[in-house]
Amino acid sequence: MTMAADRGATMPRVDVQFDRPHRQHEPRDQLSVRYRIEGCDGERIRAIEHSVLWYTEGKGEEDIGVHFFQRITDRAMMPPALAAGAFSTPLPQSPLSYEGRIVKVRWCVRVRLFFDGSRDFVSEHVFVLGRIPPAGLPASRT
Amino acid sequence: MRLPRFYAKKRGHRRTGSREWGVFGDGLFHGTLLIAGLCFGGLLVSGVAAPEWRINHEFRESRGTVLAKGLARTTVHDPPGTVITSWRPCLRVRYLANGTVRESWSHGPSAENTTDREMALRRLAAWKLGEETTCWYDPSAPQTVVLQRGYSWWLWLLSLLLPGALILIGGSGLVRGLRAWGKSEEHRAASVGLSELLDPLAQPALAAPGYPAVPVWDDLVNSPGTILKYRLPIESPESWTLVGFGLFALLWNAVVVVLAVGAGLDLLGGRIDWWLFALLVPFLGVGIGGVVLFARSLIFATAIGPTQLEISDHPLLPGRRYDVLLAQGGTGTIQSLTLTLELEEQATFRQGTDTRTEHSVVWRQPVAGFHDVSAAPHSRFEARAVVEIPPGSMHSFTSAHNAVRWRLVVRGTPERWPVFSRIFPVVVFPPDAEVPEPPTRPVASRDALRSIEVSR
Repeated sequence: MTMAADRGATMPRVDVQFDRPHRQHEPRDQLSVRYRIEGCDGERIRAIEHSVLWYTEGKGEEDIGVHFFQRITDRAMMPPALAAGAFSTPLPQSPLSYEGRIVKVRWCVRVRLFFDGSRDFVSEHVFVLGRIPPAGLPASRT
Repeated sequence: MRLPRFYAKKRGHRRTGSREWGVFGDGLFHGTLLIAGLCFGGLLVSGVAAPEWRINHEFRESRGTVLAKGLARTTVHDPPGTVITSWRPCLRVRYLANGTVRESWSHGPSAENTTDREMALRRLAAWKLGEETTCWYDPSAPQTVVLQRGYSWWLWLLSLLLPGALILIGGSGLVRGLRAWGKSEEHRAASVGLSELLDPLAQPALAAPGYPAVPVWDDLVNSPGTILKYRLPIESPESWTLVGFGLFALLWNAVVVVLAVGAGLDLLGGRIDWWLFALLVPFLGVGIGGVVLFARSLIFATAIGPTQLEISDHPLLPGRRYDVLLAQGGTGTIQSLTLTLELEEQATFRQGTDTRTEHSVVWRQPVAGFHDVSAAPHSRFEARAVVEIPPGSMHSFTSAHNAVRWRLVVRGTPERWPVFSRIFPVVVFPPDAEVPEPPTRPVASRDALRSIEVSR
């Protein structure tokens, strides 16, 4: 089991547990995530969004591809009634995580909390899809 | 209340504009376009379209006699200091309206206005004094009478096209902004349907079915090879250089011709504009240089001869080996001809108001090399080689602003010409992929999206 957490003095905290060690997943694996929300300090949450997505990083503009998206607006399924949640989705066959020189592809799970008013808080947890070595390593000849 | 910050943190160390201010600016821009379109459209409809429509549908027919005629002159200061005078034929008519005999000056259609006084006089001459003619009067204002009906189609077209374009651009931008308002980045990306219609340029590239972000390859396998299964399409940087030189030479010399015609007309009229001649000489020099560069590139592109590459299968898979056939046509000797397999990354980004694309070859492997290659017009040089995609390699990847591309590159050093390179893109699938049939229709990369709304 792996765990990640966002911590801040006045920020909520979302602890996420992946079902695979080292957050290493293979294409078509079933990704299962459990999370726990803490530190809302009485602020009312009006919606929670779960998403599994890839995004690009590097020199170019950021591109994003959402593979799984779920929006929960049922008060009974969010704090203070329920401080934990889970979701699951089969992973796609591509794009695989990639650490290039000017283009990088990363996969992540996001849990976004929408508070009453306009404030929202997002907790992002990167995982790896596939086993592509970084560009230029180990047998690169440029 | 706290105003949103102008700058927000992006990933890494870069700062980018605040989303809230961006949405506000976008909304303001599109709202201004929409209001301008509505105002402009309203003015055109009320000033041109509606009066014409009323004349053709609501005015009542009567018989009238032409009593007098003249030209109505309209003077407009536009821009201040410049006076524009237009003329319109006017006729004094006696006619029967609502049982009463009336006399009034006719109101012609606005299209009758002309800045050419002679033309207005010719139109006026077509009317004879004392002539009896059909006229139409306004039942709610019987003193308003016209002798001609019809539509100014170009004005109607103008009143539809210009405000219509402003309303369409402004309205679609506002709808797009409103749809995105209050939604998270993930929610917006997950929303399909109308967003593709409203913002077609922001949509992801076409993807292979079942393999999001892997580019489609159907345009790479639509040409059968002579010996191996497929002939790969070529992507030649020299061709773009040739097009660039050609366009530059054409446009620059068009300017030179305009200047030369002006100078020639001056010369024929017995005047010599020395400034114009002084400008013409360097322009002519650059123009001749452009033509020479274009001609040189054209000779270079056609002198080397075509390069063809055939492959035994496509798309490619990591860890597999493929036969390739390299064929080089043309005449003369090429000192060295090499075939390499390359992995290139491509990133498109905005720098100020410019959009730039950066390329970086992150991996390169020689496949085959030949020396002193001779080709003749009827016997091209042919050589076979085996190319292997390394196991565990990154697959081809394409998104709106980023790409990872595989390609086979042929580089040659001819004896009497500069070095040339010819690029043959290929598509590599993820390891152990089951390659689907190429799509016969566009398939978006969000096919695999699962979107669920949970609400009670």
